[in-house]
Amino acid sequence: MENYKKKNNKSFLRFSLGLFLFLVISSWIYLIFVDGADFSVLINPNNLHEGKIFISQIFGFGTKSGLILDYKFMKNLLDLTLETLQISIIAIGFATLGVILSVIPAARNVADGSLVFRTNWLSWFRFGVIRGLYMFTRAVPELIWALFIIFVFKPGILAGAIALGIHNLGVLGKLCSEVIENLDTRPVKSLVSSGASQYQVLFYGIIPMVMPKFLTYIVYRWEIIIRTTIIVGFIGAGGLGQAFKLAMSYFKYSEVGLILLVYIILVWLADLLSGLTRGASRKELNN
Amino acid sequence: MNKIIKKLLYNQSKILTVLIIVILISSISGIDWKSGIIHKGAFDSSIKILKAFLRPDISIEIIGVAFSATIRTLVYAITGMTIGLVLSFFTGIFASGKLQKSTLGRKFTKGVWRSILGVVRGIHELVWAWFFVAYIGLTPVAGVLAIGIPYGAALGRVFADILNDVPEEPIKSLESSGANKKQVIIYGYLPYARRDMISYSLYRLECAIRASVIMSFIGLGGLGYNIQLALSDLNYNRAATFIYFLIILITLIDIWSNQIRKDLV
Repeated sequence: MENYKKKNNKSFLRFSLGLFLFLVISSWIYLIFVDGADFSVLINPNNLHEGKIFISQIFGFGTKSGLILDYKFMKNLLDLTLETLQISIIAIGFATLGVILSVIPAARNVADGSLVFRTNWLSWFRFGVIRGLYMFTRAVPELIWALFIIFVFKPGILAGAIALGIHNLGVLGKLCSEVIENLDTRPVKSLVSSGASQYQVLFYGIIPMVMPKFLTYIVYRWEIIIRTTIIVGFIGAGGLGQAFKLAMSYFKYSEVGLILLVYIILVWLADLLSGLTRGASRKELNN
Repeated sequence: MNKIIKKLLYNQSKILTVLIIVILISSISGIDWKSGIIHKGAFDSSIKILKAFLRPDISIEIIGVAFSATIRTLVYAITGMTIGLVLSFFTGIFASGKLQKSTLGRKFTKGVWRSILGVVRGIHELVWAWFFVAYIGLTPVAGVLAIGIPYGAALGRVFADILNDVPEEPIKSLESSGANKKQVIIYGYLPYARRDMISYSLYRLECAIRASVIMSFIGLGGLGYNIQLALSDLNYNRAATFIYFLIILITLIDIWSNQIRKDLV
C-alpha cells in the first residue's frame, strides 16, 4: 500500500514536471511567434545610446543643478516618504484588523472541531465563506483593487491604503489560518478538558501560541506593502509613487533617481526590521 | 537606572502596544478628512460594482476574449518566471558564498551579492517595467524582463538561504572523497535543497501571474488590460468576468502547487 502510494506520488510529480516543461516551451513559442517578441531590441545601438543617457541621468550626471542641494525638493521628498509610510501603516492596520476578526473560523481544525471539540454545519459554512473571501481578495493584485476603489473613494492616502489592505487581508488570512492549523493541540485540549469556555480557550489557549508567528507574518507583509506602495501611487494614491510617475512623465530622470534611492532605503530598512522580528520570534518559539 | 531598564524590559510588550497604537493614529491623521474621502455617488457605484460581481458578462464573445487574455497573462508570467529561474540558479549559488574557499572571501562575496540582490529585488516589477519601456519601447520583452529580473533576485536570495541551511556532514564526506566544488554543489547541495527550492518557486509562480496582470499599466495585453478597458467603459459586469478568470487561474495554480508540495514530502 505504502509502496503503491509512493509510486503514485512519483507519477504525479513526473506529470507535473512534464506539464511545467510543456507550459514553458509553449509559452516561449507563443511569446516569440504569436506576440512577435524580439529580444534584439536590447542590443539595438539606438536603444543602447538612449539607455546610456537614461542611466547617467538617473545617477545625476549631465543635469544643471545639484538636485540633492535643492532644499524645496528634498523637503518635498521627505514629506512624500512620510506619506508612503502612512499608507503602508494604514494598509497593514486594515489587513490585520480584518484577519484578527476572521481568522479563527477560517482554520480547518476549528471548522472540523478537532481543536475546539465543537462542530456543526455553521462552522463549516463560516469556514467556506471566509476562505473563499481570502482566495478572492488574494488572487486580485493591489493595483486592480485600486482601480475599483477609486470609483468609490477619492484618490488619496486612504484609497491606496484600502486597496493594499484588501489584497493583504487575503494573503495574511491564508498564512495565519495555516498557523492555527499547524498548532500543537495538546495545551488547548487540556484547557477544554478542564472546563474552559470557548472564549477562555481562545484567549488562554490559541492566541498566546499563535501570536509570535502572526506578528512575524504581519511585519513581513508590511515590508511587502512598503515595496508595493510605490505602484499604488501610480493611480493617484500619493506618496513616492505619484512623484515617481510625474517625474517619469516629465523625463526628469535625476529626480527619478533620487526618489528611487529613497525608496530603496525605505525597503531596505523594512527588510531589516522584518529580519529582526523573524529572528526574535524564532527565539521565542524555541523557548 | 538599572531598575528603570529592568522595568522597561518587563513591560516591553505593553510599551510596544502603546507605540503601535500611537503610530497607527498618527498615520490615520495623515488622511485628508476635510475635503471628503468618498465621491458623491459612492454608494450607488459600490452597489453597482457588487451587483456586477453577481452577474458577470458571460456572452460568448467576452468569454472568448477572456480565454485569450488568460493565455497571454499566463505566457508572460511563465516566460518571465523562466528567466527568473535561470538567473536565480546562478545568483543563488554566488550569493550563498559556497564557491569561495577562504572564510573571508566567502563573507565578502556573500555580502556583496546579497546587497545587489536586495536592491534588484526591492524595486517593484512595475517600476522595472517602466524602465524597460523607457529603454526599449513598448514590447512584450519589456514585461517579461520586468518580471524575470526582480524574480531572479528574489529567488536567488531565498535559494542562497536554503543552500546555507544544508547540513554539513554529507558535504564533508563528498569533499573528502575528492569531489571538486562543482561536483559538491550538484551532488551534495542540490539534492538536499531541491524540495524547498521547488516549493518556493511555485509560490513565486503565483506571484508572477499577478505581476503579469498588472503589466497592463504599462500597456501590455492580458487580463489586466481587459479589466482596465472594461472599467474605463464603466462596464463592471465585463470587468467581473475577467476578475473571475483571474481567480480561477490563480486557484488552479494554487491547487496544483499544493499537491506538488504534499507529494514532495
